[in-house]
Amino acid sequence: MTPSQSEQRGEDGQDPPASETDSTSRLAIDVSGLELTYSDGTEAVAGVDMTVPQGEFFGFLGPNGAGKTTTIKVFATLLSPTGGEVRVNGFDVTADPRKVRESIGYMAQETSVDPELTARENIRFACEAYGVPKGERADRVDELLDLVDLADVAGKEAEEFSGGMQKRLDAATALVHRPPLVFLDEPTTGLDPKARNRLWEYFERINDEGTTIFLTTQYLEEADQLCDRLAVILDGEIVAEGSPTDLKREVGGEVLDVELEDGADARERAIEIARTFDAFGEDATVSETEEGISVTARQARQHGTDLLVALRDSGLTVTGFNIRAPTLDDVFLAITGEELDEESEADAAQVGAEQ
Amino acid sequence: MSTPTGDEPGGDQQEGDHTVDRTKNTFAGDAWVNFKRWNLKAVRNPFVLVVSLAQPIIFLVLFTEVFGNVAGQAVGEGLPGISYETYLVPAITIQVALAAAVTSGIGLVNDIENGMFEKVLVSPMNRTAIFVGKTAAEVFRIAVQVSIILGLGVLLGADVKSGLVGAAGIVAVGVLFSLWFVALSNSVAIITRDQESTIIAANLLQFPLLFLSSAFLPLSTLPGWIQTFARLNPVTYGVDAARSLMLDQDVMTVIELSYFGGTLDGVVPGIAVLAVLDLALGGVAVFLLARASSSDVQ
Repeated sequence: MTPSQSEQRGEDGQDPPASETDSTSRLAIDVSGLELTYSDGTEAVAGVDMTVPQGEFFGFLGPNGAGKTTTIKVFATLLSPTGGEVRVNGFDVTADPRKVRESIGYMAQETSVDPELTARENIRFACEAYGVPKGERADRVDELLDLVDLADVAGKEAEEFSGGMQKRLDAATALVHRPPLVFLDEPTTGLDPKARNRLWEYFERINDEGTTIFLTTQYLEEADQLCDRLAVILDGEIVAEGSPTDLKREVGGEVLDVELEDGADARERAIEIARTFDAFGEDATVSETEEGISVTARQARQHGTDLLVALRDSGLTVTGFNIRAPTLDDVFLAITGEELDEESEADAAQVGAEQ
Repeated sequence: MSTPTGDEPGGDQQEGDHTVDRTKNTFAGDAWVNFKRWNLKAVRNPFVLVVSLAQPIIFLVLFTEVFGNVAGQAVGEGLPGISYETYLVPAITIQVALAAAVTSGIGLVNDIENGMFEKVLVSPMNRTAIFVGKTAAEVFRIAVQVSIILGLGVLLGADVKSGLVGAAGIVAVGVLFSLWFVALSNSVAIITRDQESTIIAANLLQFPLLFLSSAFLPLSTLPGWIQTFARLNPVTYGVDAARSLMLDQDVMTVIELSYFGGTLDGVVPGIAVLAVLDLALGGVAVFLLARASSSDVQ
C-alpha cells in the first residue's frame, strides 16, 4: 500500500523460528484433520486437510451449509476445532489465538460496521483495536478511505450508506493493520454487479501487493476470475482441489448444451437417450438444465451432431444447441450433483439445516 | 515476534512471526478504545440520552405537582420540615440510574445484530478490557445523567442537606445502584439476543420495582404486602441510601444500624446490599458474556 512496505529487512528465507521447518513457515494456512462437530451432533467439518501458501488467492467453494463459514470461523479463532490441527500464519489457533488475531484480517459474511459511527470513525476504531501506531493512524485511515472510494463520505455515519458502501467500509476495517492474510467470507453476496466488480478490484490489488487471500464464495464466476487455486467443500469434506483450469479439465471434455421444446417430459426422454448414447464413451455426464439437457464428454464436439439427430429421430424438437468449454459451474454441478445423488434425501436436508 | 520488518507479506521470507508493524495491545489501551467508542455512540445518539432522562423528569414534575400536597403531608409526619421535592429527588436519581442501565443491554444486542460483537472478538483486543471499556462508558453516562437530574431537582426546590459532598455521594450511590441493572440487562440481552425483548423485559421490571419500594412514599404508609416486597427490592436500598445523603439523616427503612450514629447509618447498609447484589449479578453477566464470546462450539 505504501512504498515503504515493499522494502524488506532481511534476506530470503532467513532465520525461521527454531521450532518450525522452512516449508510450514511459508504456509499462510496449514490444516490437518480439521473436525468441527456442534454439540447437537451436527458434523459441520469432517476431516479437512488443506494448505495455502503465502501470497495465494485461494477460493473456498461449496453450497450453502457445506461448512464454508464454519471452517473460516475456525481459521479466524471464532470457533475452536473439535479435532485436528490448524496453523494460521504459523500460529496454532487453539494455543495462540491472539497471535492469529493480530496477523489476520477477517471480513464476516454479514456486513459488520458500526452504523452510528462515521466511515472515518469506523476505520479509526479498527486501527486502534489492531494497534496501528498512533503516528500512522491518520495516514492509514485516509489511505484506506481512498482504497475503498469512501473518502468523499468519510464524515457520514455508516447507517446512511448503501449495502455496497457498507461492504467496502467493512473491507477497509479488515485491512487496517496490513494483515498478511485476509479472510473474506462471501464478501460480495447481495451486491450489484458494479459494486461487486469494484470489490474484486480491491481484492486483486491487495493480493498483488502480496497479501494472501482466503475467499469463500458461491459465485463461481468470482472464483474463476480471482482465485489462483480452489477447493470445493461438500458436507464438511473437501471433494475437489486445484486451479480453476485444473478443475475445469477434470470435468472431462467439452459441454454440449441442447435446448428442447415440450418441457420436463421431453427433457427426461432426452436424458435417457443421451445416457445410452455410446459415441460419447463411459465417462460422459448428462444433466438436466432449465431449457433442456447438458452433456459433458470428451467427444462432445465430434459426436454432438449425432446426438442431435438421435434426439430428432425420437420425435424431440431441438430448438438450439451450443458446444463450449466447461465453466466452473459445470465443475461445481458435476461434483456436487454426483455427491448429492449418492446421498439420501435426508442427508441433503440435513446439509440445508446446518446453516 | 521480534523483527519489526515492513509488513510486506509477499511470499518470500515470512516466518511464523508475521511482524505487522503495530503497537502492542494493552489492557488499559483496549479498555480506553472501547470506552471512546461507546461514548461516541452515546453522543451520536442524543435521543437515547434525552429519552432516558425524559421519563424521570416527567415523574419529578408530575409527582411534585400532583401528589405534592398529599404526599408531602405523609412525608411530613415522619420527617418534619422536609418538602416532597427533597424527599422525591433521591428516588428520581435512582429511577434515572435504572432507566439508563437498560441501554447497556440494548447496546450489546445492537452490537450482536450488526456484527460488531464478532468483529471485536476477532480483533486482538483483550476481551475483558472490551467489556470493561463499554461498561465504563455507560457508568460515566449514568453519572452525568444522575448529576443532571440532581441539579434539576435543586432548581425545582429540592434541598441537598449534606451539600456538595452529599451530592457526589448520591451520584456514587446511583452508579452503584445501576450496576446490578446493567448486569441484568446485559444478561437478558445475551439470552434473548433480541433488542425488543431486552427493552420489554427491562421496562416490565422498571415500574413494579419503582412503585413497590420506598421511592415515592414512606413505607409505613403503604399496604403490608408492598412493604414486604419493598424490603426485598434493591430500589429501596438505593433510594434509602441516596435519601439519607439528601436529608443528611438516617432514613434507611429496612436495616437498622446505629454503628456510625448519623447519616452513614442510612447509607452504609444500602451500599453494602447493593455491592453484594452487583457482585452476584455481575458474576452472572460475566459468565454469560464469557460463554457468548468463547470459541467453544455449542
